[in-house]
Amino acid sequence: MAISTTDRRPAAPDRKRRARPARRTRAGGPGRRVLLLLQLSAVLAVLLLWAALAAAGLVSSTALPGPTAVFGTFPELFGTSAYWQAVGDTLNGALTGFLAAAVIGVPLGLVTGTYAAAEQSSRLLVDVLRSFPVIALLPVFLLVLGSTPTTKTTVVFLACVFPVFLQAQYGARSVTPMIAETMDSYRVPRHLRFRKVILPSATPSVMTGLRLAATTSVLVAIGVEVLTTLPGIGHEVVLAQQGGAAAQAYAYIITAGTIGYSINLLSQFAERRLLRWRPPAHTD
Amino acid sequence: MSTRTPGALWKPLLKQLWLPVLCVAVLLVATAGSTSFYFPPATDVLATLWRELLHGGLVGDLLFSLRNIALGLGIATVVGVGAGLVIGEVDLLRQATGPLLDFARATPTVAFVPVIILTLGIGSGPKVFLIALGSVWPILLNTVSGVHGINPAVHETAHSYRIPWRLRLLKVVLPGALPQIFAGIRVALSIAVVLMVVSEIYGSPVGLGNFILQSGSSFAVPETWAGTVLIGILGYGLSVLLLAAEYALLGWYHQRPPRARRSLSRNEV
Repeated sequence: MAISTTDRRPAAPDRKRRARPARRTRAGGPGRRVLLLLQLSAVLAVLLLWAALAAAGLVSSTALPGPTAVFGTFPELFGTSAYWQAVGDTLNGALTGFLAAAVIGVPLGLVTGTYAAAEQSSRLLVDVLRSFPVIALLPVFLLVLGSTPTTKTTVVFLACVFPVFLQAQYGARSVTPMIAETMDSYRVPRHLRFRKVILPSATPSVMTGLRLAATTSVLVAIGVEVLTTLPGIGHEVVLAQQGGAAAQAYAYIITAGTIGYSINLLSQFAERRLLRWRPPAHTD
Repeated sequence: MSTRTPGALWKPLLKQLWLPVLCVAVLLVATAGSTSFYFPPATDVLATLWRELLHGGLVGDLLFSLRNIALGLGIATVVGVGAGLVIGEVDLLRQATGPLLDFARATPTVAFVPVIILTLGIGSGPKVFLIALGSVWPILLNTVSGVHGINPAVHETAHSYRIPWRLRLLKVVLPGALPQIFAGIRVALSIAVVLMVVSEIYGSPVGLGNFILQSGSSFAVPETWAGTVLIGILGYGLSVLLLAAEYALLGWYHQRPPRARRSLSRNEV
């Protein structure tokens, strides 16, 4: 029983997003310009709070340097090649692992999602593997593979492949029974069914999986760099903090945040472009 | 679920179990006579795990790690749900803080590990802080979207009957957002486990992360694998526990037909 109750509910990607245009017009709310002003002032408020916290001396300046100190290091950092090298190293490791996960996870998920038997038999296994904190494999990988870029890529791949796989599987399963029965009764050939029915209905879910994995890939890459001597943003944070340059460490953290945030924005944009054909208030 | 006959109960169980069992069997057979230094026989690993748990200090490590996760996640839940309810209720606040919260969520907390641990020390406190810092964002964002997603008609009804705010919070807003909140906690749990491991590998005298680091760097391979397996069991056990809590608290929600449920759109890593 314990097994049949561990149902997985992967991120349902779509309903809310699809309904967004309708929501926006209904909500009305403040105009675009006012909203932007509000958001800017919220950012400003947080920066002021940060500055006040740092100035008050409640926390030592090595734990939390002020915003002016942190942002002051950016012009200098932008000029150094070490900064861009670190960003490149992190992105390189993250991207390689992510692409490998997409290439393996999406087809595997779509195929196992199409056949109920395959989905059922892989369920428990994937459930156990998915909840495994991949970063805990790092000591093992360091033993087997050593402190090489391959280790970073492998750990990123393992962390990304499960969200991608699960979302693809979930998407392939989301074909409604009515459509499935219609395909059966018209004897739609398998390849046509896959290309014209399963693939389009799985795309939103697959995109969600890829978006999750993209964010995870950067996170894991930085995690690996923090714990090893592999070059990248994570390693630079360690070096800066150990060298007493807390402001520089924070500058690298903000860089990491910006990368994560841009990935989110980019993938949301790509998702919207790819799924434009969908009617906005589609309900199943 | 309720109309199952006993025969129909073990059949899906069998269908789900054969592959994991096969995998474990293959693993056991493939590594049985293994002389490879890095891949010791799986039975050796399990024996080591058992021995370390009984006679070694592994139980102490396990308890240390578990306590940090529980404390960090507890703090994150209280802060995240509390702030999320406020932000979700006040529309202006929700819109103003949107990009800020998205940015905070996108910032990888693992990058904070060296900064926090190098300045605040290797004790338990900084680790709890890191776990709370990392896991608060999914809970907060999910609470906000859960509160925001409550049907406007429900809100208006509560308003027009002039239901006092405390009652409204406890009986309308919180139950309405609870499914989303749980989805957030589930994401937060996996983040918490990762941060537990990273913070302990980075600098800690005790804990599971420290155990696998120490045994790994002293080339005690079976111990390293055993610790890794234990972390896996811990991760899975905690997620099953959370699921059980969810079913206990949200039984009313899961008994609804799937179509009546609200989609959980924000439970992302």
